[in-house]
Amino acid sequence: MKTIRSIAGLTAVMLISGALNAQSATVLYNERVVELEQTLPDATDLWVKPEDLTRVNDFILKPEGACLDELCVPVLQDRDSAMFITRQGQSWFNVTELADKLQQAYVTDYNDGIWSFGTMPVTRQSFLRGGEAPDFELMGRDGELVRLSDFRGKKVLLLTWASW
Amino acid sequence: MPVWQSIYEELKSENFEIISVAQDTGGEEAAGYIFDDANVSYTAIIDVNHQISSLYNLVNVPSGVWIDEQGKIMRINEGTYAKEHMNGAWGTNDYVPIVRDWVAKGADSEHVWDRSKVRESIIQRTPEAERAQPAFRLGGYYFTNDNDEKAEQYWTMAQELDPTSWNYLRQDLQYEEGGSAGPEWRARREQIEGAGGAYYAPLEIENN
Repeated sequence: MKTIRSIAGLTAVMLISGALNAQSATVLYNERVVELEQTLPDATDLWVKPEDLTRVNDFILKPEGACLDELCVPVLQDRDSAMFITRQGQSWFNVTELADKLQQAYVTDYNDGIWSFGTMPVTRQSFLRGGEAPDFELMGRDGELVRLSDFRGKKVLLLTWASW
Repeated sequence: MPVWQSIYEELKSENFEIISVAQDTGGEEAAGYIFDDANVSYTAIIDVNHQISSLYNLVNVPSGVWIDEQGKIMRINEGTYAKEHMNGAWGTNDYVPIVRDWVAKGADSEHVWDRSKVRESIIQRTPEAERAQPAFRLGGYYFTNDNDEKAEQYWTMAQELDPTSWNYLRQDLQYEEGGSAGPEWRARREQIEGAGGAYYAPLEIENN
């Protein structure tokens, strides 16, 4: 009994020290480079504070789940789950678990704490199945943001090329 | 590029825009002068992360996409030169006339594809190819931050995950001995074409 209690105690200490040593991370997604001051240390997953979620991938945590426009992925928030845990009053959201659910690919450099995320296939069905042109927002050479959706009402010839 | 500028001058009053996007990790320094030399007045972007190729599932340059007034794709994934170069060694004079036809006739142009043809022409990615784009993006991040060793590591990973992408291969070769159109690129191209494949998705233009 004593042994069990001490193991439980040790686990608690590890979790606490983990939370105290929350480490920084960098997230790459589309054009954005998001510096996160604190994430929950984890060997395989990226846990961020709920308020950082939107900076990372535009999702908003609501009572019904993690939502992007009409898409909502249910998230239990009154108890721990694979997507959401609370430690010492601080909640953490598992961004990589959400990515897995969305079939969103990612590649991580664990040494440097950099997480690079790909496109989200579930948000791209209107393109893949219906030929709707994916919207984008990129800086034009004249310093103005270029959004495809600003060209509604015109025919657009989108050309890619390269100097190499 | 000067040819596209003259086509733009010709058609811009007909509710037509060209958005030209350089897939260049080297940024303004690598590609900016090419836009400048052509004095382009259409929308010009230098896309260091190749985001447009990621979003539109494109694997080569140049590539073209037609997008109508409602944001629907009318053609996609074609090698879109404005004219023949080097006496027909590459490029084609057949593409610009069909662009003109589309701008004039819209949905009534015979060169507009139906929805199923558009859908078939969009490259479907394997799960590995889906991972290639964040790997390439990570390599680009390291490149920008002057960590060439890790840039190379993740660019190589991207090429292994998506061997169909000429963009990943050639962007990387640009920074190696031999360059982006050197022996390694030629050998890969000959291998594909020798096996009956195509370097560019073939242009399908019906001539009446």
